[in-house]
Amino acid sequence: MSIRVAAMGLTIGVGMLLVMQAGCSKKSIQSGGDTQSSERGMAKSGAPAQSQGQVPPPSQGQLSSPSGLDAPSATFPDLSLSSKPEDPETGGLRGFDSVSGGKAPSEERLGGGGTMLAKVEPSESTARQIEEIRREQAKEQAASAEAGLRDVFFGYDSWTITEEGRLSLTQDAQWIKANTGALVKIEGHCDERGTLAYNLVLGEKRAKAVRNYLVELGVGANRLSVVSYGKERPFCNERSESCYQQNRRGHVVVRSK
Amino acid sequence: MTRVIIGLMIVLCVLVGAGVLGILDSGATDVFLEATRPDFQKIPIGVFGFQNGGGPEWLGGRIEEVLKADLQRSLVFTLVDLPGIGVKAREVTTTDRAIFKQAAENGVSVLVWGKSGQKNVSKDSELLMDGFVYDSGSDEVVGGKRYVGSTSVVRLMAHRFADELVFRYTGEPGIARTKIVYVAEHGNARELFVMDYDGYEPKQITADGFLNLMPRWSPDRRFIVFTAYRSRNTQDIDILELATGKRWTLVSMPGLNITPALSPDGNFLAFASSQDGNSEIYKLDTRTKASQRLTVNQGGDLSPSWSPTGRELAFTSDRGGAPQIFVMSADGSNVRRLTYEGDYNAAPAWSPRGNWIAYVCRTAQRLYKVCIVSPDGQKRVQVTTGPGIDDSPSWSPDGRHLTFSSTVDGKSHIYMVDTDGKNLERITFGGTHNSSPSWSPAL
Repeated sequence: MSIRVAAMGLTIGVGMLLVMQAGCSKKSIQSGGDTQSSERGMAKSGAPAQSQGQVPPPSQGQLSSPSGLDAPSATFPDLSLSSKPEDPETGGLRGFDSVSGGKAPSEERLGGGGTMLAKVEPSESTARQIEEIRREQAKEQAASAEAGLRDVFFGYDSWTITEEGRLSLTQDAQWIKANTGALVKIEGHCDERGTLAYNLVLGEKRAKAVRNYLVELGVGANRLSVVSYGKERPFCNERSESCYQQNRRGHVVVRSK
Repeated sequence: MTRVIIGLMIVLCVLVGAGVLGILDSGATDVFLEATRPDFQKIPIGVFGFQNGGGPEWLGGRIEEVLKADLQRSLVFTLVDLPGIGVKAREVTTTDRAIFKQAAENGVSVLVWGKSGQKNVSKDSELLMDGFVYDSGSDEVVGGKRYVGSTSVVRLMAHRFADELVFRYTGEPGIARTKIVYVAEHGNARELFVMDYDGYEPKQITADGFLNLMPRWSPDRRFIVFTAYRSRNTQDIDILELATGKRWTLVSMPGLNITPALSPDGNFLAFASSQDGNSEIYKLDTRTKASQRLTVNQGGDLSPSWSPTGRELAFTSDRGGAPQIFVMSADGSNVRRLTYEGDYNAAPAWSPRGNWIAYVCRTAQRLYKVCIVSPDGQKRVQVTTGPGIDDSPSWSPDGRHLTFSSTVDGKSHIYMVDTDGKNLERITFGGTHNSSPSWSPAL
């Protein structure tokens, strides 16, 4: 008796869930306009956009304007839940089949392992992009070494420029002012402690503190750019305070372009 | 015995009902009941062997091993050591009622067994798994499943069977077929990978050669949003369609474009950008492409995480000097600070049931650990302890586990842990730097 009550309860519970899910599994046509692979706007570096799969390279212009968030021009994929296509490989559960009287359960065929993932093979364009990044970095390093630019180091959790940092930046400012054609980039770096996300913000604060001090020293703001690498591109990989100190850095480099 | 099961079923019905009502309810805090409550009694389940009928030698053992691990992790079942309670049989069939009865009398509620092998002799690539279930409450063989596929889906067969069992006894889809997207070092770059929730079958999904960071799933599991460095100087927020590899740029502003998160209905992208001077949180309508700035202050605001109803966002802000967790309505109003203990709290992740927000807390010993706090700030629990820098907590869709990265074993790897800090399990073993895990929604 009470078993039946419980079973009924369960049926109702499951039923409610099924009713809810029914709304999501409705099949509808996939959004149009997304026939381009990797529609990446503003490929400033000229580096080719990544193309995964055999789809043609991007041709649809700018996605978003750098001056404001409004009205990026190209298409977005349709992200609404109702556009979800039915997926027989990974779709809903079907419950158990009765096997009374030695009957075999009906067959469910499972598709080839990672069918939901497109295969990524490093393409020629990726190789070019990697090469471009490597070349750029080497160029920056050489130019910065030649210029003798000094980096600024920060305290734990801090983006305040120390007395020592000011001395370094005073020298850097002299070089930048003397080399009127040079563009300078400040990379903000952090040690490995703390979260990845907040360290990106902290790295930017450090880079901007350096930029602002250089501007105070009379360097034109239009010659200075900043980028934060957070804790993702450390100079030193050991777990020690001396290593951490090296990684809490405003890295001042001559930009290659 | 039957009383336990009936009680369980009633509890579960209440849970399912509460979950449904919770989703529809307009309550601001979105609290659902859950099966991790202390009085939840796990269902004792016994797993016999999977007879091997002509397939590869490892087949039956592999299915049994994966299934047992899945059932254990479900936290819905507790595995009974059958020989330990005097049930010596390794292999059974649907007619072995005396054995079932013996197990039931010794407290086992559910019994599972099966067969595996080749589907037919002529075609050696196709494998087959049959799984059967006996329920002591009804004293019946309640049914079975048959899966067919190649060797590459053997783990999936076991995962699917485990999810069917969880579904039968809870009405929830289970997590055995969920996936985790994460960042791994690849050459000199950081690329995105997707693996099964238990760490198997990792597959690379980007090959850009520089930095791809902070991946998050779309609610329908079809897309991944993430931060991509387009060059050494600029970041985008991109979206990648997993099935096709197609990729779009959603946000490309000067400065930071970080911590993207799609709303539960898929219609809005919340993210942080420093285009207006310092890092602020914005919301982009993916249908109209209109955007709205949600935070306005001198501090850094970042890491938005949607409540399950999409009505609120938890986020990190250092507006008071040090990073802390805040909550606001999805239109930017009603901002309130949630964390007060410690001087570093960041990377919030709202649980799928709504009742917790996980985050990285810095302890008095300056260790970075995973904590959880209730959305009203009344309850706070430190989940992980010990050495290592923990980062990027992300919830399993059933709300019973967290995945996160930690340097506890030296290099950064991905781990999972129950919300009460038990069953800490490392799930990546290869590579030199695995980080930023994000758990997929359930199927």
